[in-house]
Amino acid sequence: MGSGVAIVTGGGRGIGRAIVARLAAEGYKVVTCGRGARPDDLDTAVDWVQADVARPGDAERINEAAGDAALLVNNAGVQVEKTVTESSDTDWDAVVGVNCRGVFNMCRAVLPGMERRGGSIVNIGSISGRAADPSMALYNASKACVHGLTRSIAVDHGPRVRCNAVCPGWIMTEMAEDAFALARDPEAARRDALTRHPVGRMGTPEDIANMVAWLASDAAAYVSGACFTVDGGMTAASPLRPGVF
Amino acid sequence: MTLAGRTALVTGGRGGIGRAICARLLREGATVYAADLSEGGSLGDEGADSAEFVRFDVTREEDAKSVMALVAQARGRLDILVNAAGIEIEKTIEDTTLEEWNRSFAVNVTGTFLTSKHALPLLRAAARQTGGASIVNFGSYDGFIADPGLAAYCATKGAVHALTRAMACDHGPEGIRVNAVCPGYIDTPMLQSFFGGEGSGGGGKSIDDLQQAVRDVHPLRRYGTPEDIANLVNWLSSDEARYASGQLWVLDGGLSAQVQQMRL
Repeated sequence: MGSGVAIVTGGGRGIGRAIVARLAAEGYKVVTCGRGARPDDLDTAVDWVQADVARPGDAERINEAAGDAALLVNNAGVQVEKTVTESSDTDWDAVVGVNCRGVFNMCRAVLPGMERRGGSIVNIGSISGRAADPSMALYNASKACVHGLTRSIAVDHGPRVRCNAVCPGWIMTEMAEDAFALARDPEAARRDALTRHPVGRMGTPEDIANMVAWLASDAAAYVSGACFTVDGGMTAASPLRPGVF
Repeated sequence: MTLAGRTALVTGGRGGIGRAICARLLREGATVYAADLSEGGSLGDEGADSAEFVRFDVTREEDAKSVMALVAQARGRLDILVNAAGIEIEKTIEDTTLEEWNRSFAVNVTGTFLTSKHALPLLRAAARQTGGASIVNFGSYDGFIADPGLAAYCATKGAVHALTRAMACDHGPEGIRVNAVCPGYIDTPMLQSFFGGEGSGGGGKSIDDLQQAVRDVHPLRRYGTPEDIANLVNWLSSDEARYASGQLWVLDGGLSAQVQQMRL
């Protein structure tokens, strides 16, 4: 069981929401944040801070609201589906602002206290930080940045702080549902996607929350600087699957 | 002529990729021995080059000794060893017999071990005379990520990757560099055989349609040629690569740089 305060950024929906629910169930006092207003259906025991992690002042504010955080989960992320030549300065600021600078801002705010008390940081990286998804240039690069920052923090701020990353594959969130809905043949697209997952299904936000909870727990006391992939085996297989053509 | 005066031995030298390597090393001025089970190899006699053929079963230690004795007598040293001999069993572990498993390891892993082991005195002789010698092993992108129904092959290539690093560690101080090239889909008889097997599960598509679909998944929109691989082997074997050792060089047209492509 967890104890103490856990900060989860971007806990309003999707993967972040599942992480919030899991950590609350584990016994953490959870503080989460998002750029919008508090979602109506958020557990009343969970504190909400309206904040943008891309802004250093907001990150400080989240940290102060949490008090003595024992766990920081950097989940907030945005995705822009463009190549380098299509991406604007605004796109760069949006993706790098939240995905890279947001993780940096939060870690910088939380680390001084966490180093004194001991604690753990879990970042949400991505399989796309290791191999590229097409037309996701800034997103892919931002997630590789998260992996690098994860290792740096583990190296620089151990032994009192452990820092790890989870690299999700295809997780069924509203974002993924939208992508299928846009396919020429949504059912065929769904079938094809399933074939590429050795476990025979796509991921759920809870699958990621399970790994986050484990990395935060004492069972993972010797795990630091690691980037663990949770993708149903998808990236263990070649991108080329003649069998499904 | 980057390899003038050098002596090279290429195992699997009459196979799809091995033959292209022999041709390339010859063009760069090396004296080349093409070692293989038969002079025709997997492509038959067509397109044979002027590399000197030596009969060599890489799984037999006596063969390794006699091939190296032959090179020692003729040349006195070996500058370049390319361990390109390999086989592929297209099965899951459940369907793979123990004999097939052992055969895969015998050729792909033990063959690399035995050939390198008995080539070392000649490679050392070359390193003493010229300052360096090079071994290029054959890994595969399948040593990093799996193709379905190639279990033993994937495992042997993972073993070759680890062996490459170990050999680089042990023999670097003697001036011997060791690297592995890790090809993706290369147009060889081995690949055509793989298409044949996979094609039957591909919804009745013709092999031509299947090949086009495969090309489309590659960022460079083609699969590789044996010459693409020979280019890298040539570079790794040359003085240009004198600081390159212990590395696994993936050459796959960008295939493994991407996440699996959902068909949306």
